[in-house]
Amino acid sequence: MCSEKMILKHPMSVRIFHYLLIVSFLPLAVTGLILYFKLFSGESMNLTMQIHVLAGVLLTLDAVAFFLIGFERVVLFVKRVFTISVNDVKWFAVLGGYPQKLLLRKKVPVPPMGKYNSGQKLFGICVLIGGTLLVGTGWILWAFPHNTPRETVALMGTLHTVFGILLTIFLPVHLFLGIYMFDDFKAMILHGRIPYDEAREQSPLWVEKEVIPLNK
Amino acid sequence: MENKQYDYVENPFNVTRRQFMTIGGLIVALMVLPSLWVRSLVSNRSRYILARTKGLYRDDEKAKIRVSHANRAVAGYYRDFGGKPLGELSEALLHTKYINRTHGLAG
Amino acid sequence: MNAAVKTYQKGEIPGVIAINESLCKGCDACKRHCPTGAIRGLFGSAHSIDADRCLSCGQCLINCPFGAPYETSDTVDDVMKKLNDGTVTVVGIIAPAVRVAIGEDFGLPAGSLVTGKLYGAMKRAGFEIFDNNFAADLTIMEEGTEFIVRARHAVFGEAGEHGGEIGPLPQFTSCCPAWVRLVETRYPSLIPHLSTAKSPQQMAGAVAKTYGTKVWGKPAGKVYTVGIMPCTAKKLEASRPEFRSAYEYHRREGEAGSATPYPDVDTVLTTRDLARLFKKMNIDLAAEKDVEGGTLFAEYTGAGTIFGNTGGVMEAALRTAHAVMTGSELKPLEFKAVRGLKGVKSASVTLRDRKYDKDVTIRVAVVHGIAENITALLEEVLAGRSPYHFIEVMNCPGGCINGGGQPIDGGGSSWLSAALPWFAWK
Repeated sequence: MCSEKMILKHPMSVRIFHYLLIVSFLPLAVTGLILYFKLFSGESMNLTMQIHVLAGVLLTLDAVAFFLIGFERVVLFVKRVFTISVNDVKWFAVLGGYPQKLLLRKKVPVPPMGKYNSGQKLFGICVLIGGTLLVGTGWILWAFPHNTPRETVALMGTLHTVFGILLTIFLPVHLFLGIYMFDDFKAMILHGRIPYDEAREQSPLWVEKEVIPLNK
Repeated sequence: MENKQYDYVENPFNVTRRQFMTIGGLIVALMVLPSLWVRSLVSNRSRYILARTKGLYRDDEKAKIRVSHANRAVAGYYRDFGGKPLGELSEALLHTKYINRTHGLAG
Repeated sequence: MNAAVKTYQKGEIPGVIAINESLCKGCDACKRHCPTGAIRGLFGSAHSIDADRCLSCGQCLINCPFGAPYETSDTVDDVMKKLNDGTVTVVGIIAPAVRVAIGEDFGLPAGSLVTGKLYGAMKRAGFEIFDNNFAADLTIMEEGTEFIVRARHAVFGEAGEHGGEIGPLPQFTSCCPAWVRLVETRYPSLIPHLSTAKSPQQMAGAVAKTYGTKVWGKPAGKVYTVGIMPCTAKKLEASRPEFRSAYEYHRREGEAGSATPYPDVDTVLTTRDLARLFKKMNIDLAAEKDVEGGTLFAEYTGAGTIFGNTGGVMEAALRTAHAVMTGSELKPLEFKAVRGLKGVKSASVTLRDRKYDKDVTIRVAVVHGIAENITALLEEVLAGRSPYHFIEVMNCPGGCINGGGQPIDGGGSSWLSAALPWFAWK
């Protein structure tokens, strides 16, 4: 236990949702690449596909459960990622200060951000739309390719590939930055809490407008 | 564990009721609309088969002669060359025998 | 490619359909359309076709979302060469199902009846027209008479006029080559039940090279017959070595002709193949004006044209059987009980056989989409429990109009296609 003040950034429901995302999406991405590039054949390819489907079903259950149980969090998330302003453009102009911090060890001024910075909002939109499409197209490709019109299935296949590759490329970025920002890492992966001072520096608008002291 | 794990939380009234309904409604609509579209595609998938079927029945309806035994050209074939149905020439030209191909298959 | 020869005679095309493994995603959609489980390959891995089980029906080809199955036999260039050869009479044998589908490859709506335009385009390309609907009428005369002989033998003990064995009931139609191959490879004990009548395509080929030579004034060796069919299995059918009846006929007649045997149907183009041929020759079918067939081989009846629909052969046969047995025409001519997309349709017709002055009840069945619908019916027949006397079988769901050689329909919703024209699977 530490003496600094903590904000509950990610409640338990969110963290469980995210754990299940990790467990399902990582196998999906790996098996997805194997399937797309046809790295195996025969029995191994069959096994790869079965893992892909199993993980996809798990992802579906996770998403549906969270949608039903944590609907207010979903609404909050949608509101946050789609609230865009000119600050987001300015953030991208300096790439959030990350390359400068990582490569040049220089600190540059960054416009004030809410709970999610501009990069996280972009990632959030990609995951929301891409993830939903991947799940939807995935089910049709797996369960209904024979009675859905072939043109439609072909479209589903294209969408599945495009968004699958998009998210798989974005994934290492998310993994790296998610671990690099170690306080946030602990918040999402461990206990859900982030130090108040850290939050005020990274997400000043969030702390200012949305964070309140816990009532006793 | 203990009572005081954290000191601050997100204000639960960040999202107004109206915002909640709007955003929530949009999310649900955006999920439901594509599934309705795909469902209508699936249920319409035999439309082209029915269209072609109708085309042939229309060809039948507008035909002047609609029964095979009244086809004058066919009658002419039999009269001038073919003989009669199941006759010798028909057996040679228009009938066939079939083959048991299972000797090659394992089963 | 598919070098299996275990269930093919010498000369037959072994494996009309094959799968391009680089396009196949292993989604298994094709397996659910295959009537014989001929597609090999685990879910997720590239599939292949077992040619010994394959019927060449092409249902996998028209349903695969990724276009992985393809035809191994493509003779469009050969036909074009013959069309350009002034010494050869190229005869195009047009199936009924072609005239309601070929327009789709030229931008016309699905099901557009384009007989006149088709004739026009074919004449422009240099074809002599032989409408397979004429041959369908001929098939009804042969097969209908055969059925009446079998029925009168079964009911009244009448012996056939020609001596020889009379086949058993129920009689199965034999115009669908995929169905015939199913019987030959899976249910050989049913072979006696198959009508001995050839399919209209094969009758057309035999007639074109015998009777046709007198009508056109050309020797049989200079007649090149091209089946234009909605069906990939017809390519296999035309290659059957026993289908050289015209050659045998000329040999028996002592007419000097070709030393090497020639087939009754030289080659088969699918509807898609013909559309491609027209495009290669810069012929736009949609822009053609309606044209008459012109010869007696283009004369057909409504009964012949409905052969392309499931139930059509049965309806045509019943119209004629009714007239022959009772002496009067079926009223109304439309026999709706055998129409429609239900997997197995059945009906019964009671009519007075004027020869014996007795009422006869004929029970008929129509089955299509045999991947789903044939097994129970055949098991009934094999067990001797079938209530039917005459059964029409078409491999493809809906009949030949939805055959493996037809223009591929993307099946998309109409408003979407209108908004995004590049979306159409053409």
